[in-house]
Formats: sequence, C-alpha cells, structure tokens
Amino acid sequence: MSAPGRLRLGQVGLGLVLLGAWEALPRLGLVPRLFVPPLSEALGTLVAERREFASSLPTTLGEIAAAYVLACGGGVLIGQAVAASRTARRVVLPLIRSAYAVPLVVLYPVMMVWFGLGPESKVAFAAVYAFVPTVLTVAAGVGALNPALAETARALGATRLQQVVYIALPASLPSLVAALRLGGALVIVGVIVAEMLGAAAGLGFLITRYRTLLNSAGVYAGIILVLAMTGTHEALLRRLERRVAAFRAT
Amino acid sequence: MRRSERLVVAAAALGAVLGWEALVRRGWIDGGLAPAPSVIAPALVALLTRPEVLTSLGVTAWEILASFMIAVPVGFFIGFTLAEVPFLGGLLRPLVNFLFGVPKSIFLPVFILVFGVTITQKIAFGVFTTLFVVITGGIAAVESVPRELLTVSRVYGATRWQMVREIYLPAMAPILLESARLGMIFNITAVLLCEIYGARDGIGYRIAAWGENVQMPQLYAALLVVAAGAVAVNEALRVVEARIGRWRSVP
Amino acid sequence: MIPTVGGAKALLSLRSVSHEFVADGLRVPALEDVDLDVPDGQFLAVVGPSGCGKSTLLSLIAGLRRPSRGTVFCGGEPVTAPMPRKIGMVFQEANLLPWLSAIDNVAFPLKLRGVPARQRREAAARMLALTGLAGFEDRLPHQLSGGMKQRVAIARGLVQDPAVLLMDEPFASLDEQTRMVLGDELLRIWSETRKTVVFVTHSLSEAVYLADRVVVLSARPGRIVDDIEVNLPRPRTFSLTSSEHFGTLRERIWRHIRSGERR
Repeated sequence: MSAPGRLRLGQVGLGLVLLGAWEALPRLGLVPRLFVPPLSEALGTLVAERREFASSLPTTLGEIAAAYVLACGGGVLIGQAVAASRTARRVVLPLIRSAYAVPLVVLYPVMMVWFGLGPESKVAFAAVYAFVPTVLTVAAGVGALNPALAETARALGATRLQQVVYIALPASLPSLVAALRLGGALVIVGVIVAEMLGAAAGLGFLITRYRTLLNSAGVYAGIILVLAMTGTHEALLRRLERRVAAFRAT
Repeated sequence: MRRSERLVVAAAALGAVLGWEALVRRGWIDGGLAPAPSVIAPALVALLTRPEVLTSLGVTAWEILASFMIAVPVGFFIGFTLAEVPFLGGLLRPLVNFLFGVPKSIFLPVFILVFGVTITQKIAFGVFTTLFVVITGGIAAVESVPRELLTVSRVYGATRWQMVREIYLPAMAPILLESARLGMIFNITAVLLCEIYGARDGIGYRIAAWGENVQMPQLYAALLVVAAGAVAVNEALRVVEARIGRWRSVP
Repeated sequence: MIPTVGGAKALLSLRSVSHEFVADGLRVPALEDVDLDVPDGQFLAVVGPSGCGKSTLLSLIAGLRRPSRGTVFCGGEPVTAPMPRKIGMVFQEANLLPWLSAIDNVAFPLKLRGVPARQRREAAARMLALTGLAGFEDRLPHQLSGGMKQRVAIARGLVQDPAVLLMDEPFASLDEQTRMVLGDELLRIWSETRKTVVFVTHSLSEAVYLADRVVVLSARPGRIVDDIEVNLPRPRTFSLTSSEHFGTLRERIWRHIRSGERR
C-alpha cells in the first residue's frame, strides 16, 4: 500500500481505537464511570432525554444567533473601518492586540448584574467575547490586500465605488469568512460557557445541572451536542471559505 | 505608535473616565450598576490592602503559574516529537488539529466531576487548555527551521548536537515564545473560568461572589486588577519575544 | 595511489561515479559513469541542461551523499562524509543564519570546530575584507542585499582555507549586473588564493568567462559529453566576451545542450 494510503488507514484506525476505548475502558472498570461513562451511555442519555435537550436548544440557538450578528457583524464592520485608515491601523490595532490578553470571562458576573439570568446576559457576553478576535482577523485580512490591484483598477478608470465593489470586497471575502469562522466558534462557546456559569435555561445550563446531579452521561451527552454544533458550523464555513479562496488576492 | 498618538490615546482614556464620572453624577448612568470612578478608586485601594484578597490573588497566580510550568515543556516536547517523527506525526497531527478546534471550556464540568472543586482541578484544566496551543506552536517551530541551513551546517561538519544548539534552537525561539505567550493568555482565561464556575478561593471566586452580592465597586476594582495583571504579563512576554526575534526581517 | 592527470597532481578525482535516487519505489538515475580529474588550482565549470545532475555531482563531491557506484577522491582520500577543512561550499541561496551577523556567519564553520572566539573573529574579518565587505561585519542578513549575502557566503566557504571551493549556481538568483560584478570579484579572490574551484552554472557565458575548463554533462542521466579547455587570456575582461574565440567556445557547449534539451 502506498504511503498516503497507509496513513489514511492509520488515521481511521486511530479514530476507531479511540472510540472503542471510550466504550471499553469504562466498562472494564479501568476508568471510573463517574469520570468517563461509556460512549453508548452518553449517546443513550442523549436519546432518552431528547425532549430536555430539544427544549433547551431554542434558547441557546437564539442567543447564538443574536450574539453572532452583534459580534461578527459588528466585528467585521469595525475591523474594516479600522483597517481602512492607516492612522487607525497604527493606533487602534496595537491597543486591540493588547486587549486580547484580557481574560474576558471575568466580565460575565458584570453581565449577570446588568442583564440578569436571562438570555440578554448570554448574548452580551458572547458578543463581547467574540468581538475582539473577529476585529483582529478582519483587520489583518484587509491589511493584506494587494495595493497593486487597487492601482490597476484606478488606472483602468474605476470609480471609488467600483473599486470597493469589484476589487476590495471580493478580495477581502476570504478573510471575512475566516473571521466569521473564528468569531462564530467563539460565539457558540461564549454562549454555552455563560449558560454554564449562570442561567435558567439553555444547553449550558442543562450540562451544569447534570453535573451537580453527578450524571456524567448527561454531561457528556450535552458536550456531544455542543461539539455537533461547533463541528457543523466549522464544516459549513470551511466549505464557504474554499469557495471564496479563489478570490484571495495574492 | 508615535508619541503624539500615544498622548492622544491617553487623553482619550482620561476623557472617558471623566465622562463616566460626570454621567454618573448627573444620574444618566445608574451608579448602582456602574459606579463612578471616584467610587471604584478607593474600593481598589481597599481591596489591595485586604489580606484575604491578596491571598486570593496569590492562589490564582499559583494556579496560573503551575499549569503554565507543566503545559509548556510537555506541550513543546509533544510538538517536537510530532514534527520530527514522520509516521507518528502524520497520524496524530490531524487529531491534534481537530482537538485544537474543539472548545476546551465546555469540558470544565468533566474536570469538576473528576477532580472535584480543588486547586488540582484548576491546574489540570489550565494544562488541558494550554496544551494544544503549545503543541501546535512546537510543531510550527520545528517546521520553521529552514532545511537548507541544516545542509549548510552538515557541509561545515556540524554534529547532531551542534545542529540542535546552533540551528534549531535559535531558529525556533521566536515561534516558541509566541506560542508560550498565546498559551499564557488561554491559561489565564481557563483558570479564571474555573474559579468563577466553582471554587473555594481565588480572585475569580471573589469576583463571582461580589457579582452575586451586587457589590459593584469591589467587582469593578477586581476586574481592573485582573485586566491589568493579564495585560502586564502579556506585554512582558511580548518584549522578550521582540528581543529574541530581532533578526526576523519585517515582511 | 594519488590519481594523476598529465603531470599535475589531481586534487579531486571521480572514478566511475554513478548515482541514482529512489522516489516512490522508482529508481531515477541522476549520473552515469562520471570519470573526472581536477588538478590543484584549476577553475572548473560544470554546465548542462536542467536536471542533468550538476547539483547532484556537487553534493557527491562535498560528501553530502555517497555515490551509488564509484568513488570520489579528494587529496587521495575517498570522500564518504563532508570534509569541512578541505572542501567549502557556496549555494545558490546564500543560506546565512538569519540571527547571526555577517562576521558571525563567516566564523560559523570555525565555531563548529571549536576555534576560540578571538581567532574566529580575526579569520572571519580577514575573509570579509577579502570579499570586499569590510565595514559590514555586524550587519544582519536581512540588512544585506543579495549580492552582499553571497559575498558573505563565499567568505564563509573560504574561512577554513580549504583546498577546494564548490559553488552551486551561486549567482543564479542575482540580477545580471550583480552577477557580472561578483564574477569578477570571484576571479580576483581566486587569483589571490589559488583554490580549486568547481563552479556549477546554467549560464554558458558565465562558464566560459570564469573557468579554465568546462565540463559539459548530458541530459539525465548525466554523462560527460565534452571536456573543453578554455585558453582565453587572464585576467579575463568584459571585452573578451565579444571575441570570436569566446563565441566559438560558447557555441560548442550550446550544441551539446541544445541536442540534449530537445529530447
């Protein structure tokens, strides 16, 4: 078998081994069931408690949607604005980069005081959480635009508006999609974490409740759901990224 | 940033603080939710002189340091191994990339199930979160070493050990430092998340408590301390990174 | 027994050297039955169509690879591994260590050998002066132009005073003017130090201009198809390149390459 074929087989094999271990090790008593329940038990709980999980989803997904618009929408706009002006790039970007170091998770207690336990605090927190990295990604991408393209367009007689629509926008699409991919992932995580920290409903709240009840299968069932969400989001955006990759201005 | 721009930024920050103060006094901002800076400042001073708070800060600092000291060497070692050993690398790297994309915070409940609400749990979770950033950095660092330089050193008779010391280490240093710095950012966030979620001590625990009791001045003061601390650590690491990476040409 | 050529002692000798690469289970022949003697102090150019194995030949002489068949001799000893004190090498990309200054880059081979710092610096400074870079000792590579980087690389190749200097298309990534300047500089350095130089190049004009002797390799697998003595007067000047003799030599080489490339 050729080298790449062998590698593929190895990877698939590794995946199967890991899944198998997840199932076998707890059953054999090698890993305490409280820490890691067998995979089948987690999946079983997911199915058995599907009504609970299903009813938590609208809350969570709604919060994600709202935060997505705020963080990614706002992040893209601000990122473009900052990157557009050379002064702004020089002054604002270093500040934002330093701000990246601040552990935003400590803002959640503030959000809870301001907005209560309801969805607003989750939306606010997730929006803030995802905002800074999104701005940074967008600004970095816009900055990498090839100035020669814009000059060529001007030489060919394009108006400002035409330059934006036909050159700047398509050229910045790849980095926009990349920013959405990153920002979206952070929004999802931000919402779930916020729900875990303090909420009355939602998937994160459910996970915490299972934890306090020491129902580890329930905890893992919830985690599997979250992973499904982030995985789907990632896959969708990767596909989008591939589509617009051809627009990348080299 | 030029000096004049720095002054502008400082002036703007000062203006924001004064504006906030004014808005609270006018009643346009609810002083209960967002106390005026003149209220936060004394609270900050009081905070930093209370021994329990200082102890909490110490606990948090210890958790952060311990997890960092564990995650960085282990992560680099794993990264180097994955980069240098071909079959192992090809097999495990997609797994690492996949795990890198998985959000670690959602596993926090699992860590509490396993370790309970203890300092060990926080350190373990910190290591767990930081590890993947550092592994990825280790792999990138090894791959950044230009192969031609190794050929050159072979022509001039370098031993294996000399190649490591004279070529690998200097070439990898900037990327290793950068990933350590990023790892630290993730690490601090992870530890604080743990403390807010469930803890018996630590500044995160206190922040959550002040939030619950709506003790806003203390809450804001603590936020300032944490933010300042995190930024200070990051900037310090950035200075080291810049000095080590001076030879990299600006693209 | 040291292989001899005419009366002059051959410093470098290749005896029935063949080499092949194994890629994806296939054997790719690179060189076939190369017999070559290079006397001490000769400037030898090696030319040939793309892929003919010129660079492979150089890496075999340098000891970076061992030939699949046959032996390479340097100073009478078989070459099985790099011999840093006898053979120096300059590559197409200067390949300087980006975190070291020019003088530290030149001193690098000496550092590997354990030569004390002060001696290293003195030797390196001398080499930098020889290659025309006096005053640039403390510059970092990213502060140097392409031509200057190659000068540093040449200085590094000479710092251990090897008998042989191997050069693998060292001027190929430079612009034409820099190439010409460095070519003349190289000849000046060579006449002052009288090393044996094996110079691989794509450029026929460069080969004829610089060398005493040009060896032409065929297309893959590389075989020596011509061995031309360049008896143009030294020192070489630019006006020589428009002489009839120069053109004849170049034409002769070109005919080999053309028939090779067409395949």
